[in-house]
Amino acid sequence: MKNGSMSRLWLVVLSLALALAVLGGCSKKPPVVTETAPVEQAPVERIAEAPKPEPVAPKGPDYDSLEPSKYGIEDVFFGYDKYELDDAQMGVLNKNARILKDAGVTVMVAGHCDERGTIEYNLALGEKRAKIVRDYLVSLGVSASKVKLTSYGESRPFNAGQTEADWAQNRRAHFERP
Amino acid sequence: MTIRRLYLAAAAFCFLLPVAAMAQGGRTEVSIEHTATAVLKTDVRIGDFRGLGDDREVQETAARLREVLANDLLLSGLFRVGGPGYPDKELPFNWTTEATVERGSDGVLVVNLNLLSWPDRQLVLTKRYKPGPEQVRTTAHHFANEVVRTTVGSEGIALTRVAFSRGRGDRRDIYVVDYDGEGLLRLTANRTLNLCPDWSPDGNRIAFTSYRGGQQGLYFLETATGQVRQVLSMEGLNLGADWSPDGKELLISLSRSGDPEVYRITPDGAIIKRLTVSPAIEISPSWAPNGRELVFTSDSSGTPQLYMIDREGAGKRRVTFEGKYNDSATLSPSGEWLAYAAREDVLTQIVVMRPGGEERRVVTDNSWRNCEDPSWAPDGRHLVFASDKTGASKLYVYDVVENTFRQLTFGNDPDITPGWSH
Repeated sequence: MKNGSMSRLWLVVLSLALALAVLGGCSKKPPVVTETAPVEQAPVERIAEAPKPEPVAPKGPDYDSLEPSKYGIEDVFFGYDKYELDDAQMGVLNKNARILKDAGVTVMVAGHCDERGTIEYNLALGEKRAKIVRDYLVSLGVSASKVKLTSYGESRPFNAGQTEADWAQNRRAHFERP
Repeated sequence: MTIRRLYLAAAAFCFLLPVAAMAQGGRTEVSIEHTATAVLKTDVRIGDFRGLGDDREVQETAARLREVLANDLLLSGLFRVGGPGYPDKELPFNWTTEATVERGSDGVLVVNLNLLSWPDRQLVLTKRYKPGPEQVRTTAHHFANEVVRTTVGSEGIALTRVAFSRGRGDRRDIYVVDYDGEGLLRLTANRTLNLCPDWSPDGNRIAFTSYRGGQQGLYFLETATGQVRQVLSMEGLNLGADWSPDGKELLISLSRSGDPEVYRITPDGAIIKRLTVSPAIEISPSWAPNGRELVFTSDSSGTPQLYMIDREGAGKRRVTFEGKYNDSATLSPSGEWLAYAAREDVLTQIVVMRPGGEERRVVTDNSWRNCEDPSWAPDGRHLVFASDKTGASKLYVYDVVENTFRQLTFGNDPDITPGWSH
């Protein structure tokens, strides 16, 4: 038992020295020894097994595996040929921003359009919609690197119908897993 | 009637003043008259196409040549076609076409195609071909263009093709079809979205937008080999390239700066110049045939409208003022007509007008749905566009002189963003 703990200690000293040599480059002084020597078994073991600090276990749901709608993120809808945000849309995004910041999750904002207008123009319009949403979220403190964007134009309608109500469903910035 | 007699009288000379004027000026050719009587046509008799001998392939080739040639002449819009076996057996014919097909001593088929004046049967044009089994249609197309050149004095479109995007959602591939709807061929198979094909002026390459690299990029497809290479893939949109008339550069819309702007690029993907600067959408650039100006769509006014600028980005002027949605414009090869998609009531329709805005007319009525992306044939008389009038989006060809339509592609998969070869 004693031998075991001593050899384990020796291992720690060695690995720490090695880490210092790698990280620090030149420090060959072993102050590490005096500092680690009196430390009890348990913490020593932990250091020995994981030189890097263990990531904190995630609290709550595993956001990355979920569609954003599952943790309360809502899509934003737009008027015909529009890509500006009104008060109602900003209200939705304010709520989304709080959730995204708390969760620290990365999402994809995808711009969608209704079937009217050309394929090309709708790809541009969808990009504009996704972009204004991202810009607004970033202005609220969401990390820009955590909001990716894309445009599907009119190629992935949520509703295949051809009434104004159907089209309104298809004019949106949709939040999805990246 | 008078004109027809004039054509007849001129047959022996092959040149005629009104004919030459039509071919070069194009004014007479594209006069927009809704009455069929105002459209002057040359009457061509489809005569005897004889297969010499009992050889089945010889007989079939003769029959196929006759059928394809007659159809080419009809589709050109320049002729009335008749003769033995046709509804119009007798017309005041100006010309007749005849052919012989036989198997040569080397086993290869030999085709002689002749154009003669009618009724005096003076030989005006004779061509000899040795078509392989897959080249019979091409042979007829080639001779059809010869007939157009000889009798009307303009360049025919019988050998042209239309490239387009076929598929659903974000899985669409580039296809190509002969101008008459035959010879459908798939050119890409990469399980992503491929769209907006545009032919280089020499026909050797097709530029198109694809997500095959994971994100949107501009690609070239070599038409001879089918080889594809990436030209450009910048962050955001890389959309809707348009070859310049001299083939030395392209227009494209890129959103690398934050929103879509129009750029001139080299065929190697190097940016020559950014032509637009605005926080709005600038998209669908298309060269004027003189290569000095271009037309594009911008929603800087609040709605998508058409604008023209010069090749340096200067001299911007707004072209459309009517309606709240005007997009995907293209100037005819003569520069005299502008075709585009305009929202009428609820859905987009095809509009043709002068580049200055005169003589505007909506060519597709309420029976059409979502008409988009017109592209001119090199004759400046026909244009192809996409419409989902039958449910799925399909391609249609419009004749601006006769105000008639024909369906070019069929099937259940949507066909979009056509580009007519030059």
